Amino acid sequence: MRSPVLPLTWHLARSSGRRGLQSQSLAAGAAAVGAFVLLVMIAACLGSGTRAEHTAWRTPDADRHGTAVQALATTYVRHDPLTVVSLAQLPGRAATPAPPGLSTFPKKGEVYVSPALARLLHELPASQLADRFPTVRSYGTIGAAGLASPDELVAVVGRAAGDPAMSEAAAEGASWFDDGQAARAVVSGFAGGKSSMFTDSDQTLALLGVVLLAMPVVVLASAAGRLGAARREQRLAALRLAGATPRQIIAMSAVESACVGGAGALTGALAYVALLPALAEVPYGVGGWYTGQLWVGLPWLAAVVAAVTALITVSAVSMLRQVATSPLGVAQEANPRRTRMIRLVLFVGALAYIWLSTGSGGQLGHRQLLTLLILFYGAFWLFGPWVVDRLGRIVGRFARRPATLLAARRLSDDPRGAWRTVSGLVLAGFAAGFFSVSMLGSAGSQYDDQVAVITSSAATARDTVGEARALLDRAGVTATVTVAREDDWDSLLGGSPGVVARVSGGPEQTDTAVTALTSTGTGHPPYTQDYASAIDSTVTDRIAQVSTATLALSFVVATASAGLTAAANVLDRRRVYGLLRLAGTPLRVLNRARVRETVLPLVVLAGGTTAMGVYGSYQLNKVAGATINTAGAVELVVCVLVGALAMFAAIGASRPLLRRVTADPAQTAD
Amino acid sequence: MNTVLAGHGLVKKYGSTTALSGVDVEVGERDSLAIMGPSGSGKSTLLHTLAGIVRPDGGQVLLRGERIDKLGENRLSALRRKRFGFVFQFGQLLPELPAEENVALPLMLEGMPRGQAVERARRWFAPLGLDGLERRRPGQLSGGQAQRVAIARALAVEPDVVFADEPTGALDQTTSTEVIRLLTSVTREQGAALVMVTHDADVAAHCDRVLQVRDGRISNHTQYTVA
Repeated sequence: MRSPVLPLTWHLARSSGRRGLQSQSLAAGAAAVGAFVLLVMIAACLGSGTRAEHTAWRTPDADRHGTAVQALATTYVRHDPLTVVSLAQLPGRAATPAPPGLSTFPKKGEVYVSPALARLLHELPASQLADRFPTVRSYGTIGAAGLASPDELVAVVGRAAGDPAMSEAAAEGASWFDDGQAARAVVSGFAGGKSSMFTDSDQTLALLGVVLLAMPVVVLASAAGRLGAARREQRLAALRLAGATPRQIIAMSAVESACVGGAGALTGALAYVALLPALAEVPYGVGGWYTGQLWVGLPWLAAVVAAVTALITVSAVSMLRQVATSPLGVAQEANPRRTRMIRLVLFVGALAYIWLSTGSGGQLGHRQLLTLLILFYGAFWLFGPWVVDRLGRIVGRFARRPATLLAARRLSDDPRGAWRTVSGLVLAGFAAGFFSVSMLGSAGSQYDDQVAVITSSAATARDTVGEARALLDRAGVTATVTVAREDDWDSLLGGSPGVVARVSGGPEQTDTAVTALTSTGTGHPPYTQDYASAIDSTVTDRIAQVSTATLALSFVVATASAGLTAAANVLDRRRVYGLLRLAGTPLRVLNRARVRETVLPLVVLAGGTTAMGVYGSYQLNKVAGATINTAGAVELVVCVLVGALAMFAAIGASRPLLRRVTADPAQTAD
Repeated sequence: MNTVLAGHGLVKKYGSTTALSGVDVEVGERDSLAIMGPSGSGKSTLLHTLAGIVRPDGGQVLLRGERIDKLGENRLSALRRKRFGFVFQFGQLLPELPAEENVALPLMLEGMPRGQAVERARRWFAPLGLDGLERRRPGQLSGGQAQRVAIARALAVEPDVVFADEPTGALDQTTSTEVIRLLTSVTREQGAALVMVTHDADVAAHCDRVLQVRDGRISNHTQYTVA
């Protein structure tokens, strides 16, 4: 005989009325948000890897019997890195294949530029940028295959093998600042495994975001599964009386939630696909994306839709199983779910372990760091509900208004529920708070006005001073040019011979000075503050971007979670709310209590950790002699304000639902 | 009888169904009135109309001579909070609040400081046999105990009228008798009137008067002699 589960589920879903449809729509919406956020994070993760691969050709594997010389150099314009790949065919050797993005190997005097660099060359005066390259009638274009991002500034210059820019002296540079920014090798092709330092850490840091967002998405999915719980409980009772077996009821619930969750997750996936061009405009690291880099592929798409659907289904079924096994316990909430002190002990233990693991001075690999991060995250998940419980008790003790008292008692009654809603923000807030205002990667600003040129010897440096003065004077740059002291290890040249120009004026003057001095010295591009701080600031900048993006996405997820939980609570508690309202309790008191249930842990926990992150970063900046990153701080404040307002709006959105479910006086017989 | 609450010519229709069809009813101080009738007879609609929860389509409701059925929603809500008390069948207590805070809640809603409200609420526990249960949550109370907490909450605001809708509907016979005795006696002691909907004749017998409602009309009015 055919199973009655599917037709009956379909019939009940269709006849569930407006309220049932609302629940299903909300649950589907949550699934859509969850799938969308997950896909975006996975796309950023995979896309970062693809981007990094697209830069590996710039530092190809060396080959002693190679056919060409390849020199990598980095210069800066308007504080943005500009990668210059110089290529020279070795005479008498076989032809070298074309590098990625180019159709042929560049001949001497040819210059190929990325589209973004072409635009900049057009916008800026030649004295600030174009004069750094050989004069050409027209620039060739580097195709997408050779670029990590459409916004990346890259130039490929064809030179003679004897050109100073191709020399070992030019590539060796002056100090550890050159690490990852300058290289030279004899090559026979462009295969290589080492990606650019500007894309190297992107994938690991995007993965950090995925880890931080994974649990909030799980929470969102479980909230979606919980949404129809009250309605399903009633159905369970009615169907059990009608003779349905528990297995049939669970199967019906599973089918219904899987359909709703699946439809929602699919919608989220379609939204992701539709928004790919817009997502590609969001800058990360070296800039925006090529749309194809953010396409995760069908297997990932299907896996995410399946995972979100499964989460919602499992959540819905587990709620039902609780009712099935202990209906009275769930219905009456006989025992408040208290948290124990062991959570605090485990949290402190985990922190101590992390402290000991990271404080030993040894270098930790990415995998170890990720493991420790997950441990830290897990420790917070244990600790969070304990804090919410204590917070509820403390606020409950001192609450003077009914709404605050109700909210505080709710927190103590179900600290895990309250924690789940804000948990994502607590950890993302700390990371964003710390890194958005951090200036640690800027290595101070001691070289801010300096442009330095390395020379082959101290004697050459003395000769170069005059040449540099003349070039700067001709370019209209006001600067004091001196020979760098060889015993000055703290200088921009790190004790290497050369000249240092102290330039007056802003970034335009610095760019002009760099352009004017490019032809001097060993062939290595002039050094600047941006060059010196690149290694640290690249990582710090990426972490700041990832943590702010994670905070923003956490707010999206938390907003959806808070809205869903608020709506689910109204539906679950409609009887008590209805009776309270009949007895004259103002709707605004019930509403304030609902809002404060979320606001209290949000402000205290998420606000607290964000403030802790900012304070910790401020103190470290102070020690390093830097101020805070004002732009990052403004970004953080805007993100927090917009996110908090969105959360309040999401909770407030269930106010009409509360009004409606409590306005019906016919809750009692006739 | 010093009339506290009166309904004159009350008419209420839901679409084509007439729930009340010109009902007249009066309740005096310390008076207790049971409303009985079969399902769909209009007894709950009558209680809701008298309590200002449902607006009548015709007739008027007077509280101490003042017409209340024309009041705005906010004033009606305040009136229910300050001058009426409510006891329902179940589920009226907030599960996360201890019993004493459930009782204190209406007082706090009226602006009474929390300490004072809880102190006042505690006074009800001993007379209602709830001594020692002040910090228990509703889920940790038996059905009878929870109903007594609900009675305490209804009386805490010192209302003019207590409305009870099937207050013993979820209790066993013994507990039901115990609760109804307490409800009627304590309400009377407080000088409040009691209007109660019940389908149980034994419960109704604890009231001074019983109204039988059928098809939206009063079909019988029984006056008991109070011992």
